[in-house]
Amino acid sequence: MNGDIGQGKIILPAKIARNAAFNIRALLSHPMLTGMSRDQAGIPIPAYFVNEVEVTYGGERVAHFEWSSGISRDPFVGFSLRASKEAPVTVTWKDNKGGVYTSSADVRFTTATED
Amino acid sequence: MRDSLSRRTFLKSSALAVAAIAATGTAASASPLLRGPDDEPDENVKKVLREKFGDRPIRAGHITLDVPDVAPDSREVPLLIESDLPMTADNYVKGFHIVVDHNPDIYLAGFAFTAAIGAATLDTRIKMRRSSHVRIIAETSRGDLWTTSRFVFTSLNGCV
Repeated sequence: MNGDIGQGKIILPAKIARNAAFNIRALLSHPMLTGMSRDQAGIPIPAYFVNEVEVTYGGERVAHFEWSSGISRDPFVGFSLRASKEAPVTVTWKDNKGGVYTSSADVRFTTATED
Repeated sequence: MRDSLSRRTFLKSSALAVAAIAATGTAASASPLLRGPDDEPDENVKKVLREKFGDRPIRAGHITLDVPDVAPDSREVPLLIESDLPMTADNYVKGFHIVVDHNPDIYLAGFAFTAAIGAATLDTRIKMRRSSHVRIIAETSRGDLWTTSRFVFTSLNGCV
């Protein structure tokens, strides 16, 4: 993901059963610069990183992450929620330069039983 | 006679040694955050833990941290965190904290959840400046703190 900064992606499992736990994977294209490295001319590269992530599910805030620049480039996080409703999961990433990036995916129950 | 004396001396000293090992073992299990002698956080790390968690006890256990012993790329060290702590409506894991002893930001990241959490698991990738302990602290909705740590060897400075 070396293209545009701020392209978010949320991956949900193909099968989600009502009231079962399901995994969410959230990925954002972002350089996540610590501010501790220099360019080829020896000029310090300023810090530029996502420091806050918010996750909502059906409009309700369900998770909140606080990051330093120690999270890797193109930050990835995988976690789990309980499938209580058919509603969108939205992840909002905020960086230290005021950038705000959002991505959503809809939770839909499949007919399959809990697996 | 001499043989039996030396044998007695030997037995006595080995009994003392066993007692000493047993005493050390008890001390280690009673001390928070300490699983082996090398696991003891240094003063900088202790300060960060105090700032985050105050004087609340942090006990070892209930967390599995899956991370390479030797990180092939210190810019992207994969962490997979799991816990066997209870996950019920009124007692669940409400957060994970990542602490890396020798990183510029010792408190690397915090992940807070609500009762909507499904399973106590977290998957992410971190940077490491050099070989270090990676510590995970899990916080329950009742306020209990559990920890585990792994030593990860790295070659290059990944904090770019």
